[in-house]
Amino acid sequence: MKLEVDQIVDLDKELIEKLPEEYKDKVVIKGSGTGKRLEIEIDPLDLCKVLPVVREFGYDHFLGITVIDHPDENVFELVYLISSTKRSGALLAIRTKLNRDNPVIDTASFIYPLAYYQEIEAYEFFGIKFNNHDGLKLWILEDNWRGPPPLRKDVDTRKIVLDLYYGGKRYERPVQWRSLGGLRNTNGDQNE
Amino acid sequence: MVIRMSKRVISIFLGPQHPGAPGNVAFKLLVDGERVLDIELVPGFLHRGFEKMMEYRRWDMDLVMSARICVEDPDHVELAFTHALEQIYGIEPPEKAKYVRIVVAEFSRLASHLLWMMHFAGPIAARYATSWAIAAREEILKWFDYVTGHRIYHHYIFPGGIRWDIPSDFKERTLKVLKHIESLIRDLEKGFFKHPIFVKRARDLGRLKPADAIRLGATGPVLRGSGVKHDLRKLLKYDAYGEIDFEIAHGEYGDSYDRAMVRLKEMYISMEIIKQAISKMPIDGPYRWRLQPAIPAGEGIGRVESARGEFIAHIINKPPNKFSKPLTPYRVKFRGPTMAHLTTVLKHIVRNEEITVADLPVLIGSLDPCPPDIDR
Repeated sequence: MKLEVDQIVDLDKELIEKLPEEYKDKVVIKGSGTGKRLEIEIDPLDLCKVLPVVREFGYDHFLGITVIDHPDENVFELVYLISSTKRSGALLAIRTKLNRDNPVIDTASFIYPLAYYQEIEAYEFFGIKFNNHDGLKLWILEDNWRGPPPLRKDVDTRKIVLDLYYGGKRYERPVQWRSLGGLRNTNGDQNE
Repeated sequence: MVIRMSKRVISIFLGPQHPGAPGNVAFKLLVDGERVLDIELVPGFLHRGFEKMMEYRRWDMDLVMSARICVEDPDHVELAFTHALEQIYGIEPPEKAKYVRIVVAEFSRLASHLLWMMHFAGPIAARYATSWAIAAREEILKWFDYVTGHRIYHHYIFPGGIRWDIPSDFKERTLKVLKHIESLIRDLEKGFFKHPIFVKRARDLGRLKPADAIRLGATGPVLRGSGVKHDLRKLLKYDAYGEIDFEIAHGEYGDSYDRAMVRLKEMYISMEIIKQAISKMPIDGPYRWRLQPAIPAGEGIGRVESARGEFIAHIINKPPNKFSKPLTPYRVKFRGPTMAHLTTVLKHIVRNEEITVADLPVLIGSLDPCPPDIDR
């Protein structure tokens, strides 16, 4: 059985014409199965130029932002996933790369309201700042976390948790001697 | 929105221990007498850091963890994770597994919709409907125990196919369960969904227009209740859904009543899908391809239509280096449907409509939230 997704995702020539000049030849089809998608890689400064075009064209259903940390390349990669209710659920992924030392990008929440909350999540878990966003704070981690943004690759959350809650010792359960068949019972207490 | 703060306007908390709150979230309400002026979500009571933990563990352990993201509908989370991983490996599951997967997924949707009666009929004070629904769900849990060996978290859908082969009397036993729960659901329809008290409480409460539903990121029954025929089972035709003939349940007016009726219709449609899948399912043949333990480098996005809406698993794997280990995925991200429903959608409804404190649990119930998929 061949997946029907192949028919849905097509290189939309109308969309390509409306995009800014430098991205016209950068639209590619990637993935397979349910993850088949159009992909554009853009410069972070052009985000607010590309998103209105894409939205006007029918990609109106915002799904989420995936942040990927690449410490070896010193970048954060942001993937904006947007689907289209007008084009039978076709998926569009807009990728952009931010410098890891100063990750700042414009907010998309004026174009897609759900992005407001996805951006708060990106802020608390990765420390990415969004221009013109008025609610950047600890939201899911409120009152629960002291330390650097936890989902960064160079943050060892295990070590932080051990230091915070287990006094720096390895987390080990005390051995249940009962489960060894009472072999520890060397005190001569025969009653047990 | 400009709010003139008078002495009557106070802010109060609803949840997380309030019986009207839908699970492990709290809401901060701004109320003027009985009327709710604004609502703010307070999540984080169930944050377990699954996305980070998955980077430390092997992919087969991650699958077991992924089911814990949504207690009420675990099989769709597994299915999304499985789709993403299968795209990275570049394989298609065997034909038999595709059919068994949709049977399991539809039973999971049925169980989830039946459990939703607890959040929805409870605030309307129809306790009898809750007990009837739980009795029907118990039959499904027994079926899950019989097929997969577990009642709540099944870990049955597995990258490469399904974990175990189906039992020999699978078809007869499944049809017997369907027959049993169908009569219970018909009772529910007569006793609750046509009851005048339910209709009066739910009609005209929390109206969401189709354009707003799309703009705010609503998915699943909330989006379809507003009249948008958007169902990934029909659009993407993943697994064996392409072979099965079914219709999309949808509402017209977009209020709580329509959203509830969409879920009721979906229960009947799910049973229809299961019956068709059982009759078309091949009995012989392999049920799982064995995968190599090391994940190849690549990227996969699994999208499924879960009981609450669109669920996405986004998995990225890189070639082994200092930060990436060979047996574990480099980054896993889950997108659940609940975040949109409890933030943008709920806020939009409360700000544009006269919602009282007594109506709020009914409204939240009609959105069918599963807060663990916000926290993860």
